[in-house]
Amino acid sequence: MTVAAVSRPKTAEPWKAFSGRVKLAIALSSVLPAAFALVYMFLSASPFIVVLFTVFLPLQIIAASITAYLAHGRRGILDGLLVVVTIFLSVFVLVMLLSVVWSVIQIGSQAISPHFFYQNNKYVGPTTDLSYGGLGHSIVGTLLVVAFTTIITVPLGITTAVYITETEGKSRGLIRTLLQAMSGLPSVVAGLFIYSMLIASGFTSYAGYAGSLALVPLMLPTVSRVTEESLRLVPRELRNGALALGAPAWRAFFMVTLPAAKSGVITAILLGIARVIGETAPLLLTIFSNNGTNWNPFSGGMSSLPTYLFLNLSFGTDGSVARAWGAALTILIVVGIIFTAARVVSAPKKAKVKRK
Amino acid sequence: MSQTAPKPRKLRAKPFQLADRIFFGVSTTAAYSAIVIIFLILFFLMQRAFPAFEEQGIIPFITGAGWDTSTEPWIMHIGPQLYGTLLIAAMATAIAIPMAISVAYFIVFLAPKRLAAAAVILIDLLAAIPSVVIGLWGLMIFGPVAVEWAAILNESLGFIPIFAHDSGTFANSPFIASVVLGIMIVPIIASVTREIFSQMDQEIIKASLALGGNQESTLRRVILPTSAGGIVGGVLLALGRAMGETVAIYFVLNLVYDKFNWMQILEPEGGNIASLILSKFGEASDRELAALMAAGVVLFVVTLIVNALASYIVVKAQPWRKF
Repeated sequence: MTVAAVSRPKTAEPWKAFSGRVKLAIALSSVLPAAFALVYMFLSASPFIVVLFTVFLPLQIIAASITAYLAHGRRGILDGLLVVVTIFLSVFVLVMLLSVVWSVIQIGSQAISPHFFYQNNKYVGPTTDLSYGGLGHSIVGTLLVVAFTTIITVPLGITTAVYITETEGKSRGLIRTLLQAMSGLPSVVAGLFIYSMLIASGFTSYAGYAGSLALVPLMLPTVSRVTEESLRLVPRELRNGALALGAPAWRAFFMVTLPAAKSGVITAILLGIARVIGETAPLLLTIFSNNGTNWNPFSGGMSSLPTYLFLNLSFGTDGSVARAWGAALTILIVVGIIFTAARVVSAPKKAKVKRK
Repeated sequence: MSQTAPKPRKLRAKPFQLADRIFFGVSTTAAYSAIVIIFLILFFLMQRAFPAFEEQGIIPFITGAGWDTSTEPWIMHIGPQLYGTLLIAAMATAIAIPMAISVAYFIVFLAPKRLAAAAVILIDLLAAIPSVVIGLWGLMIFGPVAVEWAAILNESLGFIPIFAHDSGTFANSPFIASVVLGIMIVPIIASVTREIFSQMDQEIIKASLALGGNQESTLRRVILPTSAGGIVGGVLLALGRAMGETVAIYFVLNLVYDKFNWMQILEPEGGNIASLILSKFGEASDRELAALMAAGVVLFVVTLIVNALASYIVVKAQPWRKF
């Protein structure tokens, strides 16, 4: 039986280096559309966004497709389209998101000065000059509220993850599904829940701990899901080894499984904190606000960074909007610190070499 | 002499000590707290919301229009808000999906390794930007730009009813709100999609390329169908997030209570349940508060349905995950 020789198209030789003609086409197609679009924009004075979508994008797609045709033949044409569209959309959305970060850093840094971090908002109105007052009271409030939330949520979340991964309990699927549902709980509903349970029923007035309780259902799913993922990564053999050596289940967990998953658990805690530190709506409904510094989370309204931002933005005067930008920058700095810590903790450790 | 190796036994820790019983008992109790919390939320909200449901009637409350507490009988209906919530969330997701899939495709299949690693960190970080910061940016920086975009859209495509516009201003429209929201949820969808893409079986991608497929047909006929379930799960997750979003929308959307804005997305008339709650909460009387609680119940039930759907699809799409 003879095998018919398959005629291979000349262009289907991916191992071959590109010819000079193709290299030239690549160079031209990466420069010309942008240059033409720029010239067109200046000549016709059209808005940038229109030129971007109606002149640059089609031209770039055509140029890339021609180049891909020269390089790979007919099957390259749609590849050119795909590459251009994906890179274009990726860059577009990254520019938007980086614009958020950049504008916060640029405008927020103008509002910030040392006293902005330690003074409080007493005797400061919407029109007060920026050289007075700050968000020290909000930093205190955020720290207290989030710390209290963390104290409640972390043990709860970790033990829930233990139930899902370490036991043979019957309702593991149900618990997972409920946690999933809880992760989609609208934050304003969490606030309404605590408001109706504690405040509207007359049990307490606005207080810091009510805000902490409102944040618990928002933080719990993150903590328990990430902890669960990291406990799942601990090899079965480690647990079995501990059990085979005669350790009871709780010692096997505390002395073998938990230390092995330590970095994952810390990451879970940090991600949970990052999730709730910017929550605004539940805190507006439960801790209200306060212009002075309130160190007592069990009575009286409190301020927090997101609600400070929200209220100042609602005033809408130049000074208060500047304060809002300052608060936004402060929040981003805090979130950035938390994320850096999470990455440092969860980075794979290099094995320590013991020397004798 | 041949000897069969003994089968590995399945080891199972049985609680044979008091301490073990306590350990398992505590973890079981903590796990059931999830049930308790969901139950408490529904119970207390329903308890407060009941008078409003009773006064307005459940069906008119959900489907009717109007919010007027100045004359008896009070009219407190959330139809436009519910529709607006769904509309804005749907548009935001529609905007976010192509961008998020592009970002994920770029990171996993196109970018060089170093760039991809940096982009992954960046996306994770951007997913953690608080929504109130996005709202600030949407109001002060993006709003004016988006108004120009909306004007251009209306000029060039105004003959299509969706882009028709006859009130004076382009600001605070559902269009702007959904673009802001879409940009907010891109990192969420992108990180889920990236996860699914990077876990894909490389063999079938190589097989497709070896059979003469190009990158485009590999994406369209191999990668996307294989990962569709996971992506849909991620999208529904983001949809749930978008429906529950409060502050980012509060600043960039003008609420109207008395009529439905079915599809004129450039008009400054929109609806959103979460924003309704936030804007009316401050000076609400007990009777109005009950209606706000009822609106919260409706929002919660809708997001619960979307989330149940999402987790069902994600579990179905990842059969290798065991409970």
